[in-house]
Amino acid sequence: MKQKRSLINILVFVFLTAAAFFCLFPLLMAFVNSFKSNRELLANVVTLPRQWNFSNYIRTFDKMHYLRSLGNTIVLAAGGVGLIVLFSAMAGWKMCRTKNRLSKALFSLFVFSMLIPFNSIMIPLFRVVMMFHIKDSLIGLVFVYAGLGVSMGVFLYHGFVKSIPYELEEAARIDGCSSLQVFFLIVMPMLKPITAAICITNVLWIWNDFLLPLIVISDSKKYTLLLSTNTLFGQYSNDWTAILSALILAAVPVIIFYAFFQKQILHGISDGAIKG
Amino acid sequence: MTLFHGRTGTEVVSLKKPGKENISLILFALPAFIVYALFKLFPAVSGIYYAMTNWNGINNAGKSYDFIGLDNFIEIMSDKYYWKSILFTMKYVLVMIIVVNIAALVLAVAIESRKRMKGIFRTIFFMPNMISMIIGGYMWMFVFTKVLYYMADNWGISFFDKSWIGDPQYAFIAIIIVASWGAVGYLMIIYMAALQGVPVNLKEAASLDGANAWQSFWHVSLPLIQNAVTICVFWTLNSAFQVFDVVYALTGGGPGRATQTVAINIYEEAFRGNIRYGYATAKSTMLFFIVFVITLIQLRVMKRKEQEL
Repeated sequence: MKQKRSLINILVFVFLTAAAFFCLFPLLMAFVNSFKSNRELLANVVTLPRQWNFSNYIRTFDKMHYLRSLGNTIVLAAGGVGLIVLFSAMAGWKMCRTKNRLSKALFSLFVFSMLIPFNSIMIPLFRVVMMFHIKDSLIGLVFVYAGLGVSMGVFLYHGFVKSIPYELEEAARIDGCSSLQVFFLIVMPMLKPITAAICITNVLWIWNDFLLPLIVISDSKKYTLLLSTNTLFGQYSNDWTAILSALILAAVPVIIFYAFFQKQILHGISDGAIKG
Repeated sequence: MTLFHGRTGTEVVSLKKPGKENISLILFALPAFIVYALFKLFPAVSGIYYAMTNWNGINNAGKSYDFIGLDNFIEIMSDKYYWKSILFTMKYVLVMIIVVNIAALVLAVAIESRKRMKGIFRTIFFMPNMISMIIGGYMWMFVFTKVLYYMADNWGISFFDKSWIGDPQYAFIAIIIVASWGAVGYLMIIYMAALQGVPVNLKEAASLDGANAWQSFWHVSLPLIQNAVTICVFWTLNSAFQVFDVVYALTGGGPGRATQTVAINIYEEAFRGNIRYGYATAKSTMLFFIVFVITLIQLRVMKRKEQEL
């Protein structure tokens, strides 16, 4: 019995290791080959590079305007998440605390659209963007992301506010706080756990979103990391050493983010799914 | 104003004047409502109107168009490529639901059965989820077009020697592999959380009664995580129907239109070549109704299953 147990344990371990290798394989291949010269890559793709040569990186770093693309992506993600958190916390909190018909109607208006897939609205949305002359505008795109993200945010905040005590707000109000003061000084700090989860899911969504920027941004100065990587892929269609170094450069910020926030990210997912 | 009256929260609220209460509500909800109305509600509603126009990017730079009733929808009925892309997407959705959920469940059970190194495996399996499928797709493209050929030539693994991107049949497999690679970690996390919620004493009781690991999983754990299965299947269905990035990066819908998903089909109709916005909007409206109906059916079936258990 005990022997059988340990055999199964070993088999499970081997299986998991193989699966882990499979998971990391494309990253590994991209990493290893990004340091090679084109000739070396053609000769052998699976070995380590003869020397860790950064010339591919230097080439693509300039070519994809790395810092500018990174900056643009940070603006979108930070701005979008900032607006989503602020707007949906305000709305979700007030709607949860106000118990009347108007509040209920507003809430269902926010929630009902959560099932509409992005594909279904992308062309009319493109038209709205043209109407407001915010094509190629990062700030404009920040507001578009806010518009797409608030319904989920309102839903989550609305649910979370139910679980926090009302007494503190009441006490603050008796002490003479205005609604805004109550919200920023009392409520926002108590919403921290759900705010963290909302921040993380939305950062990942906006950071990795490709289709919306692809439609809305055509000025290469405003390109996100993904758009400039995509363009570079088109320009260097067969120069894999350049492409792979660009892919690694584009993946690095996310991997750093993952390294720092792994716990929160994984918690956010399992909590969100079970409560949702 | 409420200082001497209300003690409990509800009383405080009810003592306020309803008009003032509503003004405060509107002011707080306004910022969210404005962006939401402009960039989601209005596009969703106006889309139904644009779907009935001949709006395109050619006539007067897209500024003028006419109402043409249901003509677009009639044209869709005989649009061979649209229905092919719908069929392809459905095939993709079905395969993804099965492959990703089984893979995620197997990984979750395997990790949960271990005492050590749980964390590191979890970290690794979730990693692809963090990376955009555009980046991941191009990395896999390198694997499919360079690495596998190298292995076939030099290590004699002839199984790898296939036209992974160029042959429609293998391109589909390649897309499934890459998409599963990118999605499995997410579902695995949800399944792991659900499995941790299964009471240990139930599993112990089962094994005391002589159940082996498989029986204990099938008859004890699985029914208890039915809820997680519903969530995960629902999630896969929803995200797989909208698949764009993986296919865009790997095959671009090719060879020909063999791997064109419906999202790619709509994107190409609107932003490549024809620039027929109105017609593409009709296609996307149609897609919404199809997804809506399928979601309703799926939710109903899953709910009934849950009740049976």
